[in-house]
Amino acid sequence: MQPQALIAEITHRCPLHCVYCSNPLAMRPRGDEMPAEVWTRIFREAAALGVLHLHLTGGEPLLRPDLEELVRAGRAANLYINLITSGIGLSERKLDALIAAGLDHLQLSFQDADEAPADEFAGARVHARKLALAKIAGARQIGFTLNAVVHRQNLDRLDNIVAMAERLGVDRLEIANVQYYGWAIENREKLMPTRRQLDVSVAAVRAHQERLKGRMRIDFVPPDYYARYPKACMGGWGRSLMVVDPAGFVLPCHAAGVIPELTFDNAQSRPLRWIWEESAAFQRFRGEDWMPEPCRSCDRRQEDFGGCRCQALLLTGNAGATDPVCSLAPDRKLVDAVIERANAAGEAGGWVYRIDPA
Amino acid sequence: MTAANIPRLARGCRLSEDPAQGWVLLIPEGVLRLSGPGPRILQRCDGSRSLADIVRELGAEFAEPDAARVESETAAFLDRLVARRIVVVE
Repeated sequence: MQPQALIAEITHRCPLHCVYCSNPLAMRPRGDEMPAEVWTRIFREAAALGVLHLHLTGGEPLLRPDLEELVRAGRAANLYINLITSGIGLSERKLDALIAAGLDHLQLSFQDADEAPADEFAGARVHARKLALAKIAGARQIGFTLNAVVHRQNLDRLDNIVAMAERLGVDRLEIANVQYYGWAIENREKLMPTRRQLDVSVAAVRAHQERLKGRMRIDFVPPDYYARYPKACMGGWGRSLMVVDPAGFVLPCHAAGVIPELTFDNAQSRPLRWIWEESAAFQRFRGEDWMPEPCRSCDRRQEDFGGCRCQALLLTGNAGATDPVCSLAPDRKLVDAVIERANAAGEAGGWVYRIDPA
Repeated sequence: MTAANIPRLARGCRLSEDPAQGWVLLIPEGVLRLSGPGPRILQRCDGSRSLADIVRELGAEFAEPDAARVESETAAFLDRLVARRIVVVE
């Protein structure tokens, strides 16, 4: 078993304060961030382990003044380089320098198609800047994905989001429903879509996919609370992905820090191969030995791997439980209660905005 | 795809030779592992050669006398990649 991709959170700092930010609630301060030469060694170790894709993310990766050096180092390690960014801090000159350094693909996030709500969800005035940047990126010879996060407050504008992506000439549009970790849990009442919104949006996405076939690819990430079966989170624990946080701690998933029983090894003091193959955190939920019933004897256990460990922890208090999203899970009633509340009329209060690390 | 078409890799897609894993096609969503003549075909999809050019070169490289067969198999391979927007045609 070898990892396919390394997700490098090179900083947790960010000029945006998105109400569904997937970074952990406890973020690494700037003083803990690893220098480029340590990242360079980690990229080489990852490539030697079989990793082919490097996702540079954060926080906002553009806040690192040495980003170009990191791109070059990843490419020198023979990796495919994807930059996951809000675009804030990116100029035309900077983008061209990153492309010259070896950038393969840009994934630019959008919060909405309309400026006022987009800036409200981001907690910063950024939408107009993103639009300007998208036009520049669309004219470059790199892969270009527009990522739009959708939820209760903007799903009704889904058609506008697709139209925006068409105007901007992106290759691929990812419409991702909020997943409930990190700051999104804090704002869950306001973010959880209604059943009706979900049904309408699923049909709309299908129609747009058909209409745009051959021109723009649309990927849709559903809100898993409404699903019958859980998502195959991270493609299975310790099966294909590893996350390195800004301070060098290596996690099987970016949210895994919420699981109190786990301790994570650091790539500054341990070889990446040892962490992947031997460390307790990667072994804990790998394979099937950890599985409770109904997962253990379930036909789908090779497909969804018991779902998400972080979600099990967040909703049931037990990271080793069947993902409560599963209709077969003994704790499914916890998810049903959240959905029921979301579909009852009431509108929740104000947003809880993410606060940046020092 | 016809003989006059000029295929090239779509932006964001890159052919790479990994020392341990052999020839791979890196695409935004993942990896395609290549075997057989796949890498030799894609190396030539550079926006300057037509399908006819590629077929001629492959026929010479693999000493395959049946040009029609090389053409139909190469076109089928590339058409599958065009459908996934991994290869584009000028």
